[in-house]
Amino acid sequence: MLRWIDRFANSSIGRKALMAVTGLLLIGFLLAHVAGNLTLYADQDGSAFNAYVESISALPILPLAEAGLALLFLVHIYLAVRTTLENRKARPVAYQATGTHGQKTLASTGMFVSGVVILGFLIKHLLDFRLRKAEFDEAPHESIVEAFQHMPTVAIYVVGCTALGFHLFHAIQSAAQTLGFNHPKYTPAILWFGRIFGIVLALLFASFPLVYMVKNGGTH
Amino acid sequence: MKLNLRIWRQKDAAAEGAIETFELDGVSPDMSFLEMLDILNEKLVGEGTDPVAFDHDCREGVCGSCGAVVNGQVHGPDTETTLCQLHMRRFRDGDTVQIEPWRSRAFPVIRDLVVDRTAFDRIQQAGGYVSVDTGSAPDANILPVPKPDAERAFDYAECIGCGGCVAACPNGAAMLFTAAKVAHLATLPQGKVERDARVLAMVTQMDEEGFGACTNHYECTAACPKGVPIDAIATMNREYLRATFLSKEGV
Repeated sequence: MLRWIDRFANSSIGRKALMAVTGLLLIGFLLAHVAGNLTLYADQDGSAFNAYVESISALPILPLAEAGLALLFLVHIYLAVRTTLENRKARPVAYQATGTHGQKTLASTGMFVSGVVILGFLIKHLLDFRLRKAEFDEAPHESIVEAFQHMPTVAIYVVGCTALGFHLFHAIQSAAQTLGFNHPKYTPAILWFGRIFGIVLALLFASFPLVYMVKNGGTH
Repeated sequence: MKLNLRIWRQKDAAAEGAIETFELDGVSPDMSFLEMLDILNEKLVGEGTDPVAFDHDCREGVCGSCGAVVNGQVHGPDTETTLCQLHMRRFRDGDTVQIEPWRSRAFPVIRDLVVDRTAFDRIQQAGGYVSVDTGSAPDANILPVPKPDAERAFDYAECIGCGGCVAACPNGAAMLFTAAKVAHLATLPQGKVERDARVLAMVTQMDEEGFGACTNHYECTAACPKGVPIDAIATMNREYLRATFLSKEGV
């Protein structure tokens, strides 16, 4: 009875569609995340951020939302790894000369690499805050100040955000194309919106550790 | 002019291949790329060695037989040009020219630059057609086709099945070829009847042949000698999603 779902989920186009949908939903999460983080810039003492964290923690739906988010990540990563491995197998003998007709970009060919860097950063990020939730919830703003006093942490965050920028630079128009949205009237707009959106979002995310490092004079 | 040729030589599918180097003098800038290979082969035969095997037929850029990767570029450096329409004036005296066959798991090398592209035939046979009952010819204008649709369908129908899209794709995907067929027929009223079954069958066959999956680099459309537009793939994706979620095909 569910043969059609199996066929879809295991087909090249079905897998790509699922990767696109999970990716777009993850972008939705990133938007909510960056909006929350922007409360860090609302005042000097971090009370806006503390209030935001408190209101989020009080949401009864939070565990469910977190589980859903984790599932999105897992599906996206699983499909990316599977597609990448299968695509490598599709060309067992590589070309000796390297050439191109000029369409692929560093962002498009580096999707897997940027994804792995983002995953590495995500693990560090979860270790810093999510896995120390009790500690973090007690004094959210101070946890941020403390975390971004360490140069290595700031460096990892900036690298992670740069990889995110690269990933999104290609991702948004790619997701649109994969889901069948391509039309001379709006495709150029999607392309440029996606690129600018990716860069702006990455810059915003990278600004938090950098601003906090500069503000609090972190040197160690 | 004099060229330094580096050509992939491989006796058969089972043999190990390797790049072999040849020096070729007396190449005229007015020759086509295939004529240059003809001159090389005449020389090789004269010397008692095996000529370089390569596919070719019409030499007018319309049959889809020829093709090789020249210095890493599918069908050479020109845009919308098959290998037979590439001319030696694009190269300079003393240039090194590396010639390799299409590289794909689904296109095994038969010999030298010749690859087995029957995987494309099987994809086509899976659904790349319109079933027409025989009988008297229908009235020519009985099915109105909007002009933009007719032109779009023609853009897709220009695909000559050379396999350059697969060769150019960093993932070895056959999406542009399959999409050209699917989009061509889905755009026209005659093709709409079988559109759902068609896209499901053709994509299933494409996956079974061992091609990769599209990750939207768009190298295929840039390398395509017929310039089949990339929106063909978006159309195929749309057709596939439609057939999967909205049609009663393949329950």
